[in-house]
Amino acid sequence: MVIDVFHPKKATVTKTEIWRKLAKMFKTIPDVIFMFGLRTHFGGGKTTGFGMIYNSLDYAKKNEPKHKLARHGLYEKKKTLRKQLKERKNRMKKVGGITKAKVSAGKKKE
Amino acid sequence: MAARDVLESDLPNAVTLLKNLQEQVMAVTAQVQALTKKVQAGAFPTEKGLSFLEVKDQLLLMYLMDLSHLILDKASGGSLQGHAAVLRLIEIRTVLEKIRPLDQKLKYQIDKLVKTAVTGSLSENDPLRFKPHPANMMSKLSSEDEEEDEAEEGQSEVSGKKSVKGASKKYVPPRLVPVHYDETEAEREKKRLERAKKRALSSSVIRELKEQYSDAPEEIRDARHPHITRQSQEDQHRINYEESMMVRLSVSKREKGRRKRADIMSSQLHSLTHFSDISALTGGTPHLDEDQNPVKKRKKVSKKGRKKRGFRRRR
Repeated sequence: MVIDVFHPKKATVTKTEIWRKLAKMFKTIPDVIFMFGLRTHFGGGKTTGFGMIYNSLDYAKKNEPKHKLARHGLYEKKKTLRKQLKERKNRMKKVGGITKAKVSAGKKKE
Repeated sequence: MAARDVLESDLPNAVTLLKNLQEQVMAVTAQVQALTKKVQAGAFPTEKGLSFLEVKDQLLLMYLMDLSHLILDKASGGSLQGHAAVLRLIEIRTVLEKIRPLDQKLKYQIDKLVKTAVTGSLSENDPLRFKPHPANMMSKLSSEDEEEDEAEEGQSEVSGKKSVKGASKKYVPPRLVPVHYDETEAEREKKRLERAKKRALSSSVIRELKEQYSDAPEEIRDARHPHITRQSQEDQHRINYEESMMVRLSVSKREKGRRKRADIMSSQLHSLTHFSDISALTGGTPHLDEDQNPVKKRKKVSKKGRKKRGFRRRR
């Protein structure tokens, strides 16, 4: 749904505040509400954004993209660095067959 | 004397008629009494309501009866003022007019039934005749194509397989009759002039002149600017897309620059001192303000440096 917030003579309303207000309006727990894309119009006073309200947290976990779940703390991303992954891939290129899996992810090869 | 003869010849006829009348009246009363007894006994249940066509029939009959009653009264010299039949007529008329849309909706079915009754082609106990045919909704063209394929391959396919094949075929847009493009330079000039005239007519100068000389009262409207710029149209399009797709689009640097320029133009007091060009109406030469940007002609891009400089130029 599209969310329109009117806040004349005030600064942009925070996301958490809108979150709780939405939960009260639609009489659900705030955990199943996911908001994104909030932008204030030029001149202030009006903010427009998008929001999704799911019927249950299970549905939300299935349908929402991972980064939005991470914002709510429901998902933890793997912390492997991008450079490390690329280096590993390049090491794997030098080796063939089943030994590819044996290539270590550390700086063993010097 | 002649009158007496006529009367005498008519007398036996009248007597027989009166006797008949008496008998008929007795028969009618007997029938009505039987009917009322039946109704009171509940032989005609109306919990489920009456059929629509029956109601219409009865209403029309009652209308005719009331009308003839009125005519009779008027013919014998009475006045129609406050006549009870008039009120009944009005009531029946309103009801008939209210059920007319229902009539329209049933028109197709009734026509079909009447046709079958008249021609007698379809049997009465075949209600399947009036069922919708989903097979008729399949595209006739795809079936033609498949028939050609069949002929080519020389195989016989199951009808289920046929429909699947039709569904996976690539969509080919229909080739309409091509029309010859005939626009000459003169026609293009004429079109351009027409557009300029239209734009001039809706410019602020002409509008104020119109208001000055017209007799109509002055309207103060909170209307949007009549000359919607291209940038505002694009902005509106972008907003609509974002809200319908629920995504936020990224704005390139070029877009940002364009928007900024459009904002500057509209926010300055530009419209106070610069008026749009009405030379299309006055017949003079079109002039451009020094401050306004002239129409930029697209430079021909050389193919040589395109790949290398492509990235730079896009900035």
